[in-house]
Amino acid sequence: MMIQAFHLTKVHSSGVKVLEDAYFSAPEGSFIAILGESRTGKSTFLKMLGGEEKPTSGVLRIDHKDIHGLSASEKRQWLNEVGMIFPDLSLFPDKTVEENILFILHVKEVSTEGQKEAIRKLLSNAGLGDKIQSKPADLSSGEKRMVLALRAMIFRPRLLLVDDPFQGLDDKAVQTLLKFLFELNRTGTTVILSIQQMSFYENLKSMPSVPPIQWMKLDQGKLQPLEEAVP
Amino acid sequence: MNNFSRLVFVLKEGFAHLFRSKGLSTTVIVIVASTLLQLSIFLGISRVLDNALVSAKEKFEMAVFLTSAADTTDLTRIKDTLSAEPQVASVKVVTKEEALQDFRKDPDIDRMVQALGENPLTDSISVVLKKDAAGNLDELVNRLKKDPSVEEVNYGKNEWEEVSNISRTVRWMGLFLGGFVFLTALFIITNTLSLSFWARKEDFILLSRMGAPTWMRWGPYLWEGVLQGILGTGLMVLILELIRHIVGMTLAQYGGLDILLHLPELDWWDLYLALAALGVILSFTGSFLALQSKWVKELK
Repeated sequence: MMIQAFHLTKVHSSGVKVLEDAYFSAPEGSFIAILGESRTGKSTFLKMLGGEEKPTSGVLRIDHKDIHGLSASEKRQWLNEVGMIFPDLSLFPDKTVEENILFILHVKEVSTEGQKEAIRKLLSNAGLGDKIQSKPADLSSGEKRMVLALRAMIFRPRLLLVDDPFQGLDDKAVQTLLKFLFELNRTGTTVILSIQQMSFYENLKSMPSVPPIQWMKLDQGKLQPLEEAVP
Repeated sequence: MNNFSRLVFVLKEGFAHLFRSKGLSTTVIVIVASTLLQLSIFLGISRVLDNALVSAKEKFEMAVFLTSAADTTDLTRIKDTLSAEPQVASVKVVTKEEALQDFRKDPDIDRMVQALGENPLTDSISVVLKKDAAGNLDELVNRLKKDPSVEEVNYGKNEWEEVSNISRTVRWMGLFLGGFVFLTALFIITNTLSLSFWARKEDFILLSRMGAPTWMRWGPYLWEGVLQGILGTGLMVLILELIRHIVGMTLAQYGGLDILLHLPELDWWDLYLALAALGVILSFTGSFLALQSKWVKELK
């Protein structure tokens, strides 16, 4: 999916300006990482891209459409191609890991035929092969985050919005998740990733076989390319 | 995803929901059962009263007395005319000899007849009316009275009308009270389900944020309501059957009062089926109304 935003401003009801006159462009299939400290509005920005928060002013177009002007059914149809990995999105507590992941395929009305085997393989690659029948209550917070990420990626969305996904994950899990994100991006998915730790920037730059990443920084309402933001 | 797969999905999810919030599900089931129990008591009382009134109506008979000049041809003609009437269930000719024989069973009347020296009675026709014959009875009676061979027609008009009025009042009162109980139960069930849905607000929000279509967000909850209705009916049938057997046995010790619970088997099953339909309608409508809550509708 292609994203274009002009003069984008978001002021919270409390009066805090989290985004000010932002310009943003993400071509189809791009990988964009947004760096920013905690509470700088990264989540709000991603929620705007996911249609969950309305900008106070400005233009936001995804695939040339104003997603905040869509009707309820049009929005649902649009959401069928959007994956979200947000910390406040939870798993269904009464469903097993496998059922939670399968559920999104029902929601997106994708055929579930043969998907159980694919989920098994995916969970095994993520080091959660033995957790397939576990309920969320039996998972650690890191494992839950990984399952949430897999749930958002299983249906191969055209746009994946990833908000601070590495919190609580060990190094191995971080590497695995990054690998999944890169693989998905290589198949054409536009990935918008927000992260807090600056160290990721250095680590990723030195990692082999990393797809081209457009780095941005969000600070005090200003969204700009990282090179411009870092003196 | 085709329609069949959607249906299977809704059925499976509805079952899962039922067992998820066991406490609230049990509350709804108990409310449905107790409402149906109250309704069944109303229905039962109306049914018993209705049966009593119908059997009272069935006992109403019309007596057509012929003149002393009427002969056998007149008797046959009037009998055939009456048999062809739609309000008439059966016709029986009572000759004046048969009537006299019947009268003479009373010793006082027997003495009077002996003193008279002749049979003062005339031939008559005893007519059993159909239970819903009340409407056009006057027209039939007027026609009979115009016949020169007919002396008198006796059919207890006032009693008939009184029974019909009581029957009508009982039905309307049953309907009104039943409707009141139904609406009260619907109010309670809707609020209980609203509470149950509120307890699962996170799921609703999650479904909405995932972009789940309406059938997926509503279907399982409506099916859950139907299931609660079915289970509530099951519980109510169990309670009624227990009442029938245990209370029936107790009442039998007190001079056959168990007759109160002795409706024909078929009537009980009709009652259970009617209540099952009511239970399902009640909980389905309750679920539907609970899903109309403002916060649910805001989650598009």
